Order: sequence, then C-alpha cells, then structure tokens
Amino acid sequence: MTERITEVAVGATRTEGGTRTRSYRVGGASALPGMGDAGARPLIALEICDDPALWPVVVLEEVGDLAGDLSGWAKAAEERWGADLVRLVLTSTRRRGFDDPASSGKAVGEVLAATGLPLIVEGSIDPALDTGVFRRCGEAGEGERLLLGTAEAERYRSVAAAALAYGHAVLAQTPIDINLAKQLNILLRETGVPHDRIVIDPYTGALGYGFEYSYSVMERVRTAALAGDADLAMPVISAAQDSLTVREVREAPEGERVETAVQWEFYAAFSAAVAGAGIVCVRHPGTVGMLREAIADLWGGEGWR
Amino acid sequence: MKALEVYKLLPKTNCKECGFPTCLAFAMKLAAGGAGPERCPYLDEETKALLGGATRPPVRAATVGVGARSFTVGEEIVMFRHEKTFYHRPGIMVCADDTSPLEEVRRNAEEVRDLVVHRVGQDLTLDGIALRCESGDPDRFAAASMVVGECGDLPRLLITADPGAHAAALKVCGQFLPLIHAATAENHEEMAGLAKRYGCPLVVRAETPEELADLAARCTAAGVRAILLDPAPRTVGDFVARASHLREHAVKRASPDLGYPLYLDTTTLGTDAALAAGILRYAGVIAVPPLPRPSLLAALTLRQNIYTDPQKPIQVTPGIYPVNNPGRDAPVLLSVNFSLTYFTLLGYLEAGKIPCYLFVVDTAGLSVLTAVAGGKLDEDLVKKSIESTGLAGTVDHRTLIIPGYAAPLSGRIEDATGWNVRVGPRDAAEIAEFLEKGE
Amino acid sequence: MPVVTFLPGYRKARVPQGATVLEAAQKAGLVMNVVCGGQGKCGKCIVRIENGETNFDREKFGVLFAAAELDAGVCLACQTRVFSDARIDVPAQTLVQEQKILVDAQPLDIPVHPSVRKYALALSPPTLDDPSSDLARLLDGVEHAGGPAATKVYAPLEMLRKIPVVLRHGRWRCTATVALVPGGYRLINVEEGGTAARLYGAAVDLGTTTVVAYLWDLAGGRVLSTASNYNRQISCGEDILSRVNYAKKNGTAHLQELAAVSVNTALTAAADAAGIDLEDIYEVMVAGNTVMTHLLLGIDPAYMIAEPYVPVVRRTLSTTAQRLGLSVAPTAGVFTFPAVSNFIGGDIIADILTSGMADQDEVSLLIDIGTNFEAVLGGRDWMLACAGAAGPALEGGEVLFGMRANPGAIERVRVDEATLEPAFETINRVPPVGICGSGLIDLLAGLIRACVIDRTGQINTGIDHPRIRMGRHFPEYVVAREDESGAGKDIVITGHDIRNLIMSKAAVLAACITLMDAAGISHGDLATVFFSGAFGNYIDKENAVTIGLIPEVPLDRVRNLGNGAVTGANQALVSRERRKALDRIARTITYIELNADPGFMDRYTQSCFLPHTDLSLFPTVQRVLEECRLRRGAQWQG
Ligand code: SF4
Ligand code: FES
Repeated sequence: MTERITEVAVGATRTEGGTRTRSYRVGGASALPGMGDAGARPLIALEICDDPALWPVVVLEEVGDLAGDLSGWAKAAEERWGADLVRLVLTSTRRRGFDDPASSGKAVGEVLAATGLPLIVEGSIDPALDTGVFRRCGEAGEGERLLLGTAEAERYRSVAAAALAYGHAVLAQTPIDINLAKQLNILLRETGVPHDRIVIDPYTGALGYGFEYSYSVMERVRTAALAGDADLAMPVISAAQDSLTVREVREAPEGERVETAVQWEFYAAFSAAVAGAGIVCVRHPGTVGMLREAIADLWGGEGWR
Repeated sequence: MKALEVYKLLPKTNCKECGFPTCLAFAMKLAAGGAGPERCPYLDEETKALLGGATRPPVRAATVGVGARSFTVGEEIVMFRHEKTFYHRPGIMVCADDTSPLEEVRRNAEEVRDLVVHRVGQDLTLDGIALRCESGDPDRFAAASMVVGECGDLPRLLITADPGAHAAALKVCGQFLPLIHAATAENHEEMAGLAKRYGCPLVVRAETPEELADLAARCTAAGVRAILLDPAPRTVGDFVARASHLREHAVKRASPDLGYPLYLDTTTLGTDAALAAGILRYAGVIAVPPLPRPSLLAALTLRQNIYTDPQKPIQVTPGIYPVNNPGRDAPVLLSVNFSLTYFTLLGYLEAGKIPCYLFVVDTAGLSVLTAVAGGKLDEDLVKKSIESTGLAGTVDHRTLIIPGYAAPLSGRIEDATGWNVRVGPRDAAEIAEFLEKGE
Repeated sequence: MPVVTFLPGYRKARVPQGATVLEAAQKAGLVMNVVCGGQGKCGKCIVRIENGETNFDREKFGVLFAAAELDAGVCLACQTRVFSDARIDVPAQTLVQEQKILVDAQPLDIPVHPSVRKYALALSPPTLDDPSSDLARLLDGVEHAGGPAATKVYAPLEMLRKIPVVLRHGRWRCTATVALVPGGYRLINVEEGGTAARLYGAAVDLGTTTVVAYLWDLAGGRVLSTASNYNRQISCGEDILSRVNYAKKNGTAHLQELAAVSVNTALTAAADAAGIDLEDIYEVMVAGNTVMTHLLLGIDPAYMIAEPYVPVVRRTLSTTAQRLGLSVAPTAGVFTFPAVSNFIGGDIIADILTSGMADQDEVSLLIDIGTNFEAVLGGRDWMLACAGAAGPALEGGEVLFGMRANPGAIERVRVDEATLEPAFETINRVPPVGICGSGLIDLLAGLIRACVIDRTGQINTGIDHPRIRMGRHFPEYVVAREDESGAGKDIVITGHDIRNLIMSKAAVLAACITLMDAAGISHGDLATVFFSGAFGNYIDKENAVTIGLIPEVPLDRVRNLGNGAVTGANQALVSRERRKALDRIARTITYIELNADPGFMDRYTQSCFLPHTDLSLFPTVQRVLEECRLRRGAQWQG
C-alpha cells in the first residue's frame, strides 16, 4: 500500500487571503527521493532571530549589521540569498524575565512587511509565556498561513489554540522518536488541529552529535506514512539548529571556519532532504545556494522506474 | 521468515543440541539472522537450503586491497539502517591523475594515508587512492601506481577503460588486489580476464540494470570473484535513484546478478552532494577528488553517523568530565554514557558557561529513561562509579545532581553512597537555569 | 528533616518534623495495618520505638498496652510523631494484613488421582508352608489390594526396620503407604491397623511475602482446610533481592530454616483447623518462585541473580520432609515445581498449569502483575515467557495517595463524564485514606473517558472545575475532598502519579506485545488472557483494557486465575497426570530477555500512551474514547 504525504499549505498570497508573493503546498510525495514520486522539491528556510545575543557567532559575522535589523535580514534572505522561506526564531522570549509578548507580535509583523516569503515562526519555549506569545504571533500573522511553533507533548494547547484561531499550521516537535512524533500528532488532532495543518519536527541533532538518530527517525516517519500510517503522514521539517555551535565549527582554524560551518549545515540538511524532509532550515546564508543546487540535482535524477 | 514459520520447519523436540534451550529459541535466532541452520543436526538438506537462503546477505561482499588498510564492502541486508544496520561503511578513495608529477602523486597519497580524525573514540580515515589514467600511456600509469604503492599498503583503485593500461599497472601492483574500473560492454572480456588473473575486484559499468546484470553475470562466469556495479549516473539524482533501485532488487532477492556493492565517482557530479548521497544511499566505493578539510570532516562524520549500528549506539567512555574549568566546589552532574545524552548535556552546559563536572556512569550506552526502566542504572552502579573514578577526591562537597528521570532512585543512591542527592530537571535544556537558581 | 529507619527491612524515609510514624512508614513504602484509617481506634498499627525522639500519648492510648510494653517503646504508629532521627521496629503482624493474602484457589475440575495411596491390609501370618519374607508378604498384599506390582515397589531401609515389628504387633493388620516418585514406587510408611482414611496431603504456595497452604484429604479427594501466614524470611529482607544478598553474606542455612518454619506454621494452622495430625500428611507440593524454591531446598541462589541468570534446578525435584525440616510425616515426599529462569519460577509454572493453556491448541496469554511482572504466551506446542519490572505504581507505590489494598483504600472509582464528579468505594467501606491499584486503574480509565487527561496522561488544567487544579508541583484531580476523606486532607491524583502509572502499565503491555511480535501473532489470535495473582483478581477488566494494561481482547476472554500458584499446587498434589505435565511445560518454555530485545524500548514508548500509540491495536477502546471525546465536544479547548 503506498500512500501520499498530506499537503500542508504554507503562506497565503492575496488571492488566498494573505499578502505573500508566493505560497507553497508542502508534502504530496508518495515515495522517498530516488524511490518514486518524491513530490515537490524540499523548501529551504533561512533562520533569522529577533535577539542576536543567542545566535551563532559565525552567522553574526557573516550578516553583520543585518543582525540588529529584522526587516533587512528578512529581505536579504529573500533577495540576496534566495531562501524559499524565512524562519523567525523569537530568541528574545528566551531571555530571563521576558514579559513583552506584544514585541513578539511586532517582530512577526515586521518580517511579514519586509518580505513576500511565507514565514515560519518559532515562539517561546516556556509554558508560562506560551499563551501570550503564540496569541500575539498568531494574531500578527492572521491570514498569512504561518507555520507556528513549537508544539511539544507537554505544551501543545497554546500553539494549537493560536493556530486554530488565526488560520495557521503547527510545528509539532518531539525528541527524535517516531512514537513520540505520532503521539503528539494524535494529541493535536484530538485538540482539533486537522492533519493538513501539522508539520512534523522530529528534532534534528547536529552532524556528529546525534544526527544518525534524527536521520533514521525521519526515514522511519516517512516509510511508516507511505505504508499507510495516517498519523505520521504530515510533511517533515528538519532544522539541525545546533550545527553552528559544535566543537568542529567553534574550533575550526580561522580561515576554514565559514567553510566548516556551511558544510556542517549542508551535510545535515541535504541528508534530511534525502530522508524525505519537506522543509530544511539553515542559519548560515552561505548554505542556502549550495543546498538549492544540490537539491535541484537530487530532484532532477533519472531512475529506471 | 517469522520465528514461528521457522519453528514449524524444526523437529520440535527441544533436544538442545543446537546450543539453544528450545527449538523455538533457535528459530528466533535463525529468523533474526543470528545463527545458521547447520547447528541443528536433524534438518534435511531441503530445509537447510530453505532456511539458509533466507539468511545469507543479499548483497555480496567485495574486498579491496590487502593488509591492515584493506576494506570490505557489501554484505548489506536492508534498505534502511533502522531495519537492522548498515554493515560495511563505503570506502572513500581520493583521485590522483597519472599526468601529475609523480612527486605530487606521492604527496597526495601520503596525505590520504596520514589523515586521521578522532571522534568519540574512533579514528576516521580515508580508504585509498583512485588513480586515473589520463596520460593514455600504460607505462606512465604503471609508474604512478608504483608510487602510490610506495606509500604503504593503501588500497588502490585503477581507473581507465583501456585494458592495456590495466595490464601494465596490474603487473606491478596486481598482488595488492586493487579495484579495477571498469568493465563495459566493449572491454569486459579482457577486463574480466585481468581481474581473474590477479584475483582483483572488478567494477562493471553500464547505463541500465539489464546491462549491469548481464555484465556481472558474464564476469562472474569468467571467474571474477568480486564485483561492484557502476550505474553510470550523470547527476546526483541519477545515482540516488539507480542505487535505490539496485539495492531494492538485491534486498528483495529479485535478481541475484544485481546483488553487488555499488561504485560511485563523484568527480563530475558536484562533490559534496554526491559524496553525501553515496554515503546515505548504498555506495560501496566512492571515488572523490582531493577535498578541502571542511568537506572531508563533514563527510567522514556523516559516514560515521550513518554506519553506526542503531542498536549499538556510540558510547562515551565513563568517567569524570570537567566542563568550563570547574573548581573543587563545582557541582557534579550524574549522567549516562549514551552519546546523545552526553552531547546534548555538554552542549547546554558549555553554552551556559557553568563550571561543573559531568560524572558519566556506564549504562551500556542506554539513555537515562531506558537505563532506569531496564534496571541498568541503579544505586550500586553509582556507588561503584564513585569509587572507581575517585570522585570524592575530585571535589570537596558531597552532593550529586541526578537527572530528572532518575528521581525514583534518589533515596536509594543517598543510602548507598552517603552523598546528598538533588534531583535535576528532566530536560537538558533546563540544566543551566537549574544550576544557576540552585545555589 | 528526621530520617526514620524501619526494622527489620532497614527501609528509610525522610519526613518533616512532627510527621507520624505511619506517614513515615507509608513514605518508606511499608504497608501497615490501618483498619481505622489512622484514628487510633483499631490498635492495629503497633510499632516499637528503638530510639529517637518521639511523642506518643500514653495516657490516652495506654489502655491498649501493658505497662511493660509501653516501657519497651511500644506504641501506635498513627498516633506517634517523630522529632528526630529514629529507629523503629515493625512487627510482622503490623506490616501486612491477613485479608490481603489471596487464599482463593480455583475449584478443581480434574479427577482426583493422587500419587500417594494407602492400602489397608489383612495379611496372613507366615507359616512353615508359606515362609515368604515380611516384605514380600506386605508388597504382595499391596498388589492384591490393587496397588503396583510387588516387584516395582522400593522399600528403603528405615521401612525394613519397621516392618517386622509393625506387622507382628498389629497382628498382621496394617496399612501401607506407597508413593509414586520420579524413580518409581516407594514404600513410605507402614502402620498398625487400618488407617487408610487418614491420608492427607498439602499444597503450598511459598511466596516471598506470604505462605498459603491447602490441606487435602487425599483418600476422599476434598479440601479440608486452608491457612496462610507470612514468610518469616521477611526478617532477612523484604524483597527477593535482599534475601539473595542475605544468603550471600550469611549462607542459606538460616533462610532455609525460616522457609521451613513458615511452611510449618501454615500447615500446623491448617491441620489444627481440620483436626488432623500433621504426621498423617504424606505429601507436600510446593509452588514458589525460583528464589523461594532454591532457599527452601537450601540451594544458594546467588549465581542466579547475575547474568546469565541460570537457576540451579530447572525441573521438578523431590525430597523428603525430614531433610527439609517439615513437620509432617518424616518420609513424606516434598515436591517443588520446576523453574525456567530466575524470574519464571515454579509459581508461574503453577499458573500455567492452572490455566490449562499448555493443553490448548489456541494461543493464550498469561500475566502475573506485582512490582515485577511475568508474562507467558503460547499453547500446547510452544510457549514464550518474559519478566520485568513494572515499578510499584500499579500497587500504589510512587503515587502520592497510593496504598495497598488495605481498609480505607479506594478500590473502585467512576468519574461522571458530564459532571466530572467521582464516585468511589473503599475497602471495608471506611472513609478513604488512599487509592489502591484497582482504584488507580479505574481512575485513569475514568479520567481519559471524561477527557480530563489526554492520552499521555496530562491533566487539562484549562478545564474550569473545582476538582481540577494546579497542585504544589503538578496539576491534580481531587478524588476525595477533605470532608469526604478519612485522611484529614484532600486525596488527589497528580499528573506525576498518572505518569508513573502509565510507565508501569506500559512495561507490562510492551512485554506482552514483545512476546506476541516474537511469535508473530496479533491480539485477535489470543484465545484467553489470564490474570494471576492478587492484583489481577481485583481490577476491572474493562478498565484494564481501556488504559492499555493488556492487549485488547473481548472481555469474556479475560479470566482471573485467583491464586494460580496454590491452585496449580493443588492440581499437582491430587493428580498424577497434572504433575507429569509440569516438566513438559517447563521444557516447552522459551525465555526472552527483554533487556536484550532491541525492539523492547520502542514498544515501551509506544505503550506509554492511553491505550497505545497504535490505536488500531485497540479498535474498541478507540471507538469508545472517540465517542467520549465527541460528547465532550470542544468544551475544553484552549
Ligand atoms: S538441535 Fe534441532 S531439534 Fe534440537 S533443540 Fe535445536 S532446533 Fe530443536
Ligand atoms: S490505631 Fe488504627 S491505624 Fe493506628
């Protein structure tokens, strides 16, 4: 039995009720890459943040002044580096004593105004802030079909409520375990979030730091879905967010640091695409172009089927 | 076959002669591929054949080179590593060109030979030199292959469509069992003859599975012992699709003539993507151009990751790990030697810049949750580890912070060790905050 | 905070200043008699303070004790507060309660055909014409009376010493007792006169905590009496592991003796109740777990608790009462059930025997749940078994208001799906002081049906209801408000408790599924699911399936075996055929080591969900829960 991965709409153009210049339907594959109809090629998201203090140095060095300029950074992601999506990480919410959910909403608005790309928003990670932050983010992006995250098994109700209220999809993150991924999808479904509004984030460990678990979980999630498990048939997103702080990058010789950073992201992101991820996220602008080319190559292959 | 299906074919007398307590226990081992049917003396030939055929690896083996650095590929049994494991990591062989000055060839070979990356207790290395005949001159090709041979017993891959050049090179290094690339529709008879004469593994190259199977069958018939398949990809996508096709046919045992390890030359395909794709999708030997260090590091790490047995994860050596230059009053955090737990925790601690000691105990690579549930992490283990590591001599205090999932053990650890126990968070992400507040 | 140490088990608990000894005991995981719920009325919770600063109102409760007792530090645990570190001695009768011991054996529906028989004989005295030996005369008599052929019966020396005297003194009227033992027939007694009606046997369940004995009239084929008491080895440690450790340090002699004394105590009580003489008991059948069996036989079990976990004996053993120190007829045969591994012992073999699963073509599943659990899957041809730790949650441990099935324990709960109000019953119908295993399972099932918790057990604190609130550390649901409770405070179940319960049930379910996967069968193939042991006896089957403690099967296929160990011992005592089946069962079993099974952790994670991550394994439960959810509607969202 071969099934198809559920399509999730990300971003909304004017005709779709939003203001994006493009929108995507992620998913739709009926096989892993190289094994049949792998659907549309994976999308590449460039991550930016509203508080660069917690951002990898190697990226800050690359983007320079843009780090403090959310609009500029988002615009560059689209125009200069050619990303398909912007992923806004609200790092400001992780500061001790954060108490300004309105600023999160504002950041979302700012990015939406600066770029026509669809937006992924990663909000707070503290249950005490969730309700406020997700409501403001959801509200600020109403109609834009954001990908709103992150829902986890212990705290999914606030994200789900905001996504349902303002028409967004939910990022469902679980710690590298196919069963936990499935469980969270069931929990979300039972809270009223339909299947085509969920994207699975199985958590991607950095290359050399648990990546093998993530890779296999992605493959397992995909093969289970294609074998008919509807509770796992949502698109997968992969973001090896710790890639740029691993020892290999931190301790790389001065002249090789950028190259090492890019390769460390590239190998993980490309592998995720081979494992069937529908969206891959990177932080270093230099990774985007390389990844785009490799994915185009991967998708252009001629098999024997 | 499922265990019960195998069981139905056994005598069901529980005589124990196979070394298992019951026929069913033996059946389970057989079904899992952990034993061969010959251990039961009471099976007729037909049953043995039936059971044996189902347990032999569908991808045959091929060994390249001789000596300490020789390597074997193939013997794979699954499509996805989570189904069991991938057994033999692909050999990465770095290309050299026989038109380059011989000194340069030598230097390249020495670099390849000496490159070692230490990661979590393993030495990651490259596997050999791929010598390409660009000169069109058999003698030059032979001379270059000699030079490579002088750099120690690095396995060699000889690349040329000209059997004459191979003949010249094999004359000087055939006894080191280099891999020969490649037999094609045009030259397979001579190539097979050479491979047979020297006992070398041979790559066959063709554009379609039918031609590949045909070539493989002819070469085997001609006496070649080890074969690799080169599906002649023009892009990374071609390779992934064709390699997947070949592996699937092999694993399903659909066409025995496709049950061989695969060959990939990344040179014209966009190196990093092709190299990653080859590692992920079934390449046995990968020829690469000389790579910048960052690429090498990432590729070797990916290969280490993918070829780790999912059921036997890499383990961290138990012991005391100082993090951020701790003093004698720095907190001690108990953790397990599951590499993922260790790395995650280490990452958060380093990021949080908190001086402390990671006290890693040996749970045979199990995570905290699993180790507690399975009884591998208990007060005795903690007590023994404290004693064997001399933890008491490392710090001045007697307080142990244990992971949140080990909370049920807190009282018993206190009793057994005499140390005070504080229960830390379940999630490593909260450790920094916990330590900061906890004073 | 003071640390209270309880003897003899050396259990410890850290409690706030002024906590009662009872609270400390509960925290330490001890189960005390609290018939009155801790009000100082029943006088059951007796302890003795060895040292430490405590306070007990001698004036008020002094009437319960003699002055000497009071001086020795005897007091009521529920009425004594501790103010410093203390050592407290807990007498056995305080520790566990009589009614907790599961005595009920299933009625036997097998023909009685004991291995030991008596033959009342009237022999003709020897004459010069008939000079055959005393022994031949006796054995011929046995053969003529329908017994085994004279040539097949072995007479040991002590019998030969006895025969001439008994025959002559009894004027050639005598009764011979012949037993079928592994080597053949054996003459085990000769008595003067006709005593054929006095032929008794005992079936014993030798548990780690308790001993249960059934006394049988083997001639008449009926049960005369039953008795039970505690295993005296408790003084050497409460659980199996501590007994083994004790044996390691001090040798097995003391433990062997205590085992024998414990059995003797039960037998004496049963014999007294039946009004018979212990010396007329000619056979004892003992079913115990592997360690208990080893210890009764005086075999060192130390090698068994380390890898690779091999027991010393794996088949039925027989010896005589004399050699073990049992106070029945000295030559009486004592039989112990075979064991398969350190965890699959004679008690489980007895369960299997009781269930009859080894005689069926269809596949059944048998589960015995306690802090540890054992599971057996299979039928006539093959059987798979495994064992593991479920953790104490299902027995009320590691749960804030958890307790054992003692008076005052909430043992049945329903949660009204519309009002979210609970309705409960307690043991002995006294005000509730805690919740026992069956109550916890009901509660979990009730809360998920009422959508108070989600499938991971998380309490939805978004629901606005007085019984749902954020506790000190975790969200909680109030099962009994202070005014409904006998504990002097609200009785709650917390999110943390629920998590522990789910982890416990997941271990059991994952083990069952591991066995089923190893055999390649699905829940639809299960002819019967048997529950054995005390725990299985009290739980609500439907709720057990709802939470996914066991695989989903139609409820009429779930059966309780009661005390399967003693029933199995009864069967093997009274039926030769059943006894013969034992070794075959033990040989058929293949033991699976869960820790070595690479798929176990995966199945465990899948099972940490209500009822299971793969909902298609629980189609009926899924339908019911789906209906519940729809009924609740979107009411709790947000
Ligand atoms: S040797 Fe054969 S018959 Fe004997 S136990 Fe093993 S499988 Fe069964
Ligand atoms: S007197 Fe009844 S429990 Fe203490």
